[in-house]
Amino acid sequence: MILGDLLGLPVFGTPSRGSAAGEYDGGRLGKVADARFVLDGQPHQLTSDARLLGLIVSPHSSGSFLGYERTEVRHPWPLPQLLRWRHRGSFLVLWEDIAFIGREEVQLRQGFTAYSTALDRPE
Amino acid sequence: MKRLLGVALGILTAIGGFVDIGDLVTNAVVGSRFGLSLAWVVGVGVVGICLFANMSGRVAAVSGRATFEVIRERLGPRAGLANLSASFFINLMTVTAEIGGVALALQLASSVHYLLWIPVAAAAVWLVIWRVKFKIMENVTGLLGLTLIVFAVALFLLKPDWMVLAGQAFSPSVPGEETVSAYWYYAIALFGAAMTPYEVFFFSSGAVEEGWSIKDLVQSRINVLVGFPLGGFLSIAIAACAAVVLLPAGIEVTSLSQVVLPVAEGAGKVGLAFVLVGLVAATFGAALETTLSSGYTLAQFFGWSWGKFRRPAQAARFHLAMIICLLVGIAVLATGVDPILVTEYSVVFSAIALPLTYLPILIVANDPQYMHEHVNGRVVNALAMVYLVIILCASLAAIPLMILTGAGS
Repeated sequence: MILGDLLGLPVFGTPSRGSAAGEYDGGRLGKVADARFVLDGQPHQLTSDARLLGLIVSPHSSGSFLGYERTEVRHPWPLPQLLRWRHRGSFLVLWEDIAFIGREEVQLRQGFTAYSTALDRPE
Repeated sequence: MKRLLGVALGILTAIGGFVDIGDLVTNAVVGSRFGLSLAWVVGVGVVGICLFANMSGRVAAVSGRATFEVIRERLGPRAGLANLSASFFINLMTVTAEIGGVALALQLASSVHYLLWIPVAAAAVWLVIWRVKFKIMENVTGLLGLTLIVFAVALFLLKPDWMVLAGQAFSPSVPGEETVSAYWYYAIALFGAAMTPYEVFFFSSGAVEEGWSIKDLVQSRINVLVGFPLGGFLSIAIAACAAVVLLPAGIEVTSLSQVVLPVAEGAGKVGLAFVLVGLVAATFGAALETTLSSGYTLAQFFGWSWGKFRRPAQAARFHLAMIICLLVGIAVLATGVDPILVTEYSVVFSAIALPLTYLPILIVANDPQYMHEHVNGRVVNALAMVYLVIILCASLAAIPLMILTGAGS
């Protein structure tokens, strides 16, 4: 599977015990909008190897953030506001919290943690 | 002298946008039908292209990235591909038209049928792209293209009633015998030509070819502020000449020879000689610009190595793509299609390409990780947002108006 297949897939929570088949805890949470990587792997001359930190799940759109997930980018009005509104309620879910990735859907583990998608400038 | 030649990139870029074969004829058509009542559109277009070309030049100088690399990165593969398809079609249609244009200009000078000139024109374009250094290419075509200023000279020699011209330009109205939709169709055609996307592709890639860095930001700004207003000025001069000579005579412009008619009347044989050189240089320059733009956009989208600063063997796919474009152009022209008609339909593709080109430039010009302290100021951002709305409206209205007016006829 390539990253392109993963983007746009619907994301569901885990079915809670006792619920009928096909019913999910919390239902459909959104779509995979992005994948986030950290550069903390094997160090090389220029950068380190990238490691998949987790997926960005966005309830209303699987479109790109166009770079506005970084809080330091605030211009030009009203583009950041529009894009952040389009991705309102989006969250980052860590790779460890993903139960499985299927052909048609992504399922999260029970009790997963939703982190903020915002990227602050590293100091 | 170095400073003077330093603006050649801006001038050559503007020639492709404002006085390429399609625009030469469109400007004369507009002048002969609407007088100067559409001159304001050229003004709006000049400000818009200055705004965004300056941004793309700044992004290229500071980050070393040309515009289509930025588009591919910010819009992602899907929207990037939509833009690539649309802009590439505009490029290809314009390449075709310009080769035809060079041939038509040579026909005007030599009386040899233009179809015979087409292989010569295409081979010359290819040779220049393959062999000639970028710097020499832009200086020669840029400077020779300037001979089109003879349109402005001819306008003076024709001794027009300046008050009438000023009246048309500054209190524009739709002439009685024309429809409102035809007026707006030509308004959008002129605006789209002024803002045509291959200008920023060429300008930013040219900046990379010339190795601009942060210390060249002033140079970039001078290029923009000299080149595009000059292009707009030439475009209005052509329309004014047509308004003075062709409009009263009721001549409808359908060919290149009618475009140069006012110059012959105003400035005589010498003027005619200048205008012929200018026509060949401008169409040839535009052919180079659009052929290179085709190569730049494809290479930058797919991540091939590109640029005339590399030897052709090191940028093989880039050069091969351009050779194929030229061959396609020749093949299309060999069917006998009117080269001037070809550019008129590129307005349709502008509808997709314009917003998808200028939005990513604006976003990246605001990104401190690329631009550091050279991000856009507030005034530039406010103006750019206004222009994005204008661009969006123009691109939405383009296709309906084209159908409604039968492409302005």
